[in-house]
Amino acid sequence: MRQLSPRAASTAAIALVLALGAAACGPKDSGAASSDGGAPQKGGTLTVLNAKAQTNFDPARLYTSGGGNVPSLVFRTLTTRNREDGAAGSKVVPDLATDTGRPSKDATVWTYTLKSGLKYEDGTAITSADIKYGIERSFASELSGGAPYLRDWLIGAANYQGPYKDKKGLASIETPDAKTIVFHLNKPEGEFPFLATQTQTTPVPQAKDKGAKYELHPLSSGPYKVVKNEGDGERLTLERNKYWSGDDERKAYPDKIDVRSGLDSAVINQRLSASAGTDAAAVTTDTNLGPAELAKVTGDKKLAARVGTGHFGYTNYLAINPKVKPFDNPKVRQAISYAVDRTSVVNAAGGSSLAEAATTVLPTQKSFGYTAYDAFPAGESGNAAKAKELLKEAGYPKGLTVTLTHSNDKDFATSPEIATSLQEALKKAGITVKLQGLETNAYNDTIYNVKSEPGLFLGGWGADWPSGGPFLAPLFDGRQIVKNGYNFNAAQLNDASVNSEIDAINKLTDLDAAAKRWGALDKKIGAQALTVPLFHPVYKRLYGSAIKNVVISDWTGVLDISQVAVK
Amino acid sequence: MSEALLVQEAGAATTAAPASGASPFWQRLRTQRAVLVAAVVVALLVLIALGAPLLAAIEGQDPTTYHPKLVDSATGGVPLGSFGGISAEHWLGVEPLTGRDLFARVAYGARVSLGVALAATVAQVVIGVAVGLSAGLGNRYVDQALSRITDVMVALPVMVIALGVLTVVPASVPRPVLIAGVIGLVGWAGISKIVRAQTLSLKSRDHVAAARLSGWGGVQIARRELLPALAAPVITYSVLLFPADIVVEAALSFLGVGIKPPTPSWGQMLSDADTWYQAAPTYLLIPAALLFVTVFALTVLGEGVRTALDPRAASRLPIGTSRKKSGKKSGKKKEAGA
Repeated sequence: MRQLSPRAASTAAIALVLALGAAACGPKDSGAASSDGGAPQKGGTLTVLNAKAQTNFDPARLYTSGGGNVPSLVFRTLTTRNREDGAAGSKVVPDLATDTGRPSKDATVWTYTLKSGLKYEDGTAITSADIKYGIERSFASELSGGAPYLRDWLIGAANYQGPYKDKKGLASIETPDAKTIVFHLNKPEGEFPFLATQTQTTPVPQAKDKGAKYELHPLSSGPYKVVKNEGDGERLTLERNKYWSGDDERKAYPDKIDVRSGLDSAVINQRLSASAGTDAAAVTTDTNLGPAELAKVTGDKKLAARVGTGHFGYTNYLAINPKVKPFDNPKVRQAISYAVDRTSVVNAAGGSSLAEAATTVLPTQKSFGYTAYDAFPAGESGNAAKAKELLKEAGYPKGLTVTLTHSNDKDFATSPEIATSLQEALKKAGITVKLQGLETNAYNDTIYNVKSEPGLFLGGWGADWPSGGPFLAPLFDGRQIVKNGYNFNAAQLNDASVNSEIDAINKLTDLDAAAKRWGALDKKIGAQALTVPLFHPVYKRLYGSAIKNVVISDWTGVLDISQVAVK
Repeated sequence: MSEALLVQEAGAATTAAPASGASPFWQRLRTQRAVLVAAVVVALLVLIALGAPLLAAIEGQDPTTYHPKLVDSATGGVPLGSFGGISAEHWLGVEPLTGRDLFARVAYGARVSLGVALAATVAQVVIGVAVGLSAGLGNRYVDQALSRITDVMVALPVMVIALGVLTVVPASVPRPVLIAGVIGLVGWAGISKIVRAQTLSLKSRDHVAAARLSGWGGVQIARRELLPALAAPVITYSVLLFPADIVVEAALSFLGVGIKPPTPSWGQMLSDADTWYQAAPTYLLIPAALLFVTVFALTVLGEGVRTALDPRAASRLPIGTSRKKSGKKSGKKKEAGA
């Protein structure tokens, strides 16, 4: 179980994951045919049009899923995501290492061996000591930003201050020789290979480390090196790293990559649809099509052919806090579960092309362990009669009034449209819903704090990697309830049987077996009506007319920039 | 009436209408055709606002019910049918994504737009007149203090202050009241300046001096001698403030800090519709057109009132020059006075 530390990690994390979004690329069978015919060729310049800048472009500071999209062009990691379309893309594959890791019997010790001939952009050799140093420096307070797992899992890491203050380093990471690295964990973690995809396992040579200034020119181990970084990642220019020996995952077709950020999302979509000049060879790694833009694009066949569709493992739900009355009564929670109108909710979220109705907390991909269930069948548009019946049994024959907290963002996820659609559906069941709309920061501070957590709010969760673990553990592990800081266990569930099952699954190194048990656990918790799953979002993004070889994995749900060709 | 006569004799330009010239005022208003049209439009809008529940009931709709079957879910939620789903059941079509009835939302939205703007204007006028009169009638120190405060208020940007306040105040405070209050509390300085200047010029007039000599108190002088004379500029200014307040409310709702869902307001509808201008143009055009028509009609009406109340402008009206004797007379008289 991973303990999400009190820092505001997760929301920021999810946002970052989406922004840096790692998409997988299909290496061998790049069947993902794209725009014009002809095999993808090397050469040309790829333009990336983004809203958010690639801030803190330092492998210690990036919070990525599977190594990120743009970061993965520069930083290689011990393992990485498989760059293939769909479900195949949610697998972990070796990157710098020769395999995805060799666990000890109880999965507390993980050993990796580096491939031969690995070099940095300056021609020097990559060693296992550099990977150890790279991980250690991510513990320095001035280089914060990464996921909390390393600190939670490595022995003796909880209070480690990083190599600048503590020269001895972390004893739980051993490098017996220049090619071998061994991790000692404080508990069994069968999913360590997933963690090893994050940029913190990027090698950083101690001699070249400049602390917080390293981000201006991080030493590349991947196909591209940073030649210019202006405005803290607002404009990033990448050119070929001639010492990159090629790898199994990154195609790296273009010669140059020009990342331009700070653009309005409407501008990005407009420029991609016009595809004029250099914009023809452009993609975005952070901007989805909104409902209105989708409506415009679907009306134009040529444009519609340039839309990449993907599924990132994410679930939007109605979170219920049983510590607040009347939600302590299971019948009230069940009544709400029965009353929701998922057709209206899906429409409010942008329609059936941008959202799929959900009845499970886990996303529908196999890698999460998806097990179909519908604990409180509400049908397409809600079962108001059943809800009323339950309310009567709960002692509210005349209905009741509740408050629903939502954000004021225009994100079609936790926004007012979704809230009002639920308000309407619950009205039919005799539940009067008062809406409490909050601005982004106030919203996050309210819902993720056990002291202020409302009884009913719109929430969502996306995992750090495509598995049931980083979904169910933060949301339902009672030991992860954070009293003084960001808490994601909204139901504040602390059930010994759930906790011990989570521990048991974490011991498994057979990820398929683990997935099945995550699915079963989801179904078991679902029967308690602590969350009402609403929908899984679908990502649709435009790309320029000259873009070839579009690969979209289920890991990231978005186009993988390392596979794209412009010629 | 005596004070009004005194004022007229003194030749104060702005006094004619409310006191002795009620009928010339209407006469002058009526001669301006554009004003008549604008007045009819405004009256219609007020009727729509007041009768929103009734009109929605006649249509058989309400502003909050979702109609998921009326939008094309697969293409992003565009209303089915032409012109945004306009039909016998849905007179102005339906909202994309939700399928809520647009006519009902527009009608209910009129209540918010007009109601909030009216309340805000009243608040501005009350505060502005009170501060302006006190400054004009008070001693040197009172005048200095109030005038400096007014100067500061003039410099304060209404939108920025309102944005700040509305973001901070908890959602439990009723939004329409809050918005009206904020606009009222921040936007009174213009009226106050006009009232103070007018008061200062009236103060030295004989009738006010006479009243003072008779031993009247400040409040009595203000009420009986000054307010009637101030009516014209205050009315003129407030009729022009009203459409400006509609715009402020719409802008605040557009920016997401105004009226909260599910209550509809025109500004909020515009904000939701801004990305839909290509996919569902009527969704954007309807609230935009209504806002435009309302503000335009009110501005024309305001201009008309100003013209009718201002003798110099009135003299250029047909009745002020040759058509009617009385009009000509009074017009000339005013002109001479001014």
